[in-house]
Amino acid sequence: MVKISRYILVVIAIVGFSIGIPKLYWMAFSKPIRVPFVMYSCIENDFMIQRSGEDGLMRQDTRGNNYTREEYEEKLPFLYVRQLLMSNTMPDSINGVEMDTHEISMNRSTFRVQPEDLDSQTQKLFPLFEAESGRANLEMPEDYFRISWRMEFVDAKSNKILEEKSQMFSAVLYNRGFEFPAKSINGIPTTRKSCDEGYLVVDSKDQLFHIKMIEGEPFVEKVKLPGGMKFKYISCVDFRNKNFYAYLFSTNNELYILTQDEYELIKFPVENIDPAKNQIRIYSDLFHYNIIVSGDDFVKVYALDTNYQNVNDYYETWPAREDRSEGKIIQALFPGQISMTDSDSNFIRFYTTFNSSLYWLVLSGLLIGVQFVIIKKRNLELKKNIIDFIIIGVSGIFGFLAVNIFPNKFFD
Amino acid sequence: MWKSVIYKEWLKIRWVAIIFGGLGILAVGNIFLKVQHDLVFNEATNYWYFILFQGYQFFGYGLFKFIPVLGALAVAVAQYFPETVNKRIKLTFHLPLNENKVLLMMMLFGTICLLAIDVIMFLLFTSLSLLFFPSEIIIATLVSTAPWFLCGFVVYFLVALIVLEPVWKYRFMYIIVAGAFVPIYLESAETGGYAPALPLLILFTVVLSISLLFSGYRFRKGEM
Repeated sequence: MVKISRYILVVIAIVGFSIGIPKLYWMAFSKPIRVPFVMYSCIENDFMIQRSGEDGLMRQDTRGNNYTREEYEEKLPFLYVRQLLMSNTMPDSINGVEMDTHEISMNRSTFRVQPEDLDSQTQKLFPLFEAESGRANLEMPEDYFRISWRMEFVDAKSNKILEEKSQMFSAVLYNRGFEFPAKSINGIPTTRKSCDEGYLVVDSKDQLFHIKMIEGEPFVEKVKLPGGMKFKYISCVDFRNKNFYAYLFSTNNELYILTQDEYELIKFPVENIDPAKNQIRIYSDLFHYNIIVSGDDFVKVYALDTNYQNVNDYYETWPAREDRSEGKIIQALFPGQISMTDSDSNFIRFYTTFNSSLYWLVLSGLLIGVQFVIIKKRNLELKKNIIDFIIIGVSGIFGFLAVNIFPNKFFD
Repeated sequence: MWKSVIYKEWLKIRWVAIIFGGLGILAVGNIFLKVQHDLVFNEATNYWYFILFQGYQFFGYGLFKFIPVLGALAVAVAQYFPETVNKRIKLTFHLPLNENKVLLMMMLFGTICLLAIDVIMFLLFTSLSLLFFPSEIIIATLVSTAPWFLCGFVVYFLVALIVLEPVWKYRFMYIIVAGAFVPIYLESAETGGYAPALPLLILFTVVLSISLLFSGYRFRKGEM
């Protein structure tokens, strides 16, 4: 029993050190990875790249031509529209299209999704706004809904279920073929939007429904989906041109939009779009969609025209943190590391990474040698310390510290 | 004999445990006084909105996070520090009882006291939550607060280990281990964010319950 208590403490120490020591290492030695900002220029019909380095910002195109700040901004007129208008350098027309600030503004949109948005606590209660209240501003309803075995509205003030409203909405959903419960409820739960378009809800059979409330009555529309289509993430948008309701990311890493009113699913000609692993940013303007996919060691940018056809793409890589000198050193020092948090998740977990290189085994071997000397000095039996040697061999410096903090010398 | 051992433990920790229990109840009451106050000054629907969509953690009010930890720390010190004064625990080891069993009994008694206080706090917290919030908010809140209570037990076990350790050098090193391990229960996270880590955290807490045997053994064997 006492022996077991010692090994428990050794394990606890190894866990603590595998979290604490690498954390200290990265605090001391990590360096920022400067990710280039890449956008397609409708003036140059080429990608413009802005890099930040130790000498400041560098702006260039894919052929290596360098630009001043002003020149760079002029190549991306829709990104810097306010600056160009201020300095009177906004062209009167681009590609034969007259520049109208209202039109520019109507067609400009930005969108971002990152892995932590997906690996996050699933929200199950939402406010259902009145979509046609006749008021200029949206108002926060008094109740919230959940879709479990039925669609249930809970009054916030009394914390009681609103039976009549719940039955009305549940009945309509049921009649439209909704299979309870909902797998995901996706919308924009805020009054700070131009209008309310309700929620896109995936039911338990992966069917997609559009649900909103119009003058107190339920509005439910089933969206026709190609067979077997499943979504890993749906993000509703509130863009001024009202072309579509949402960006939809399928489980086979494709990107779709769902057009407004017609409920047509349009696939973007882009590959391997996985918001669970990479950050996805989408900028749209009068001429193009820029879809920027960025990971730890790469950026890929697709430029699409407004008919959603691919115009050009750009790909760049750089060494990931593990491949840089500070990453290689840590791989030689530790067999792996544990972190309770991760930049790609909102959950607390034991995020365990094992080093792909085996250089740490050299240090482990050295530490086994040191332990051997310690045991000999204390005149202890080698046979009774074999488990300690194995612990050091497997967990390196963490195990070495642990077995010496909780010494074994009484057990022979 | 066992009754006397338990009574001795109770005598050592009774005031600390009573104060901890009282403070715990007050802390829970304080949280819901604040909730009630906020609901008077805000629309309930907006208050729910802050919690659901803006990351407001009503249960983080009044340093509630640290109450189980501080309580457990105080109970552990009250229970084990007197045993180290003049090495009184050796008297216990001279009783006609199994030494490990005595240590485990001491630890079990302390753990049950802490558990009783935590259960009272937890039940009070849950029942008051039921008055104001729907199950979605309550479940996520309980997932977030569970590691704080578990942390109390971990601190109790580790403080017992540290206090009973006879050698100062090792005491210091155990403190370093505790310093590296305990914060994993106290990370800042979104409400409900601790859910994936909870099973392992519970496992670590349970297995740590016998850690006291290690320093108890060293104490018995006269490690200096």
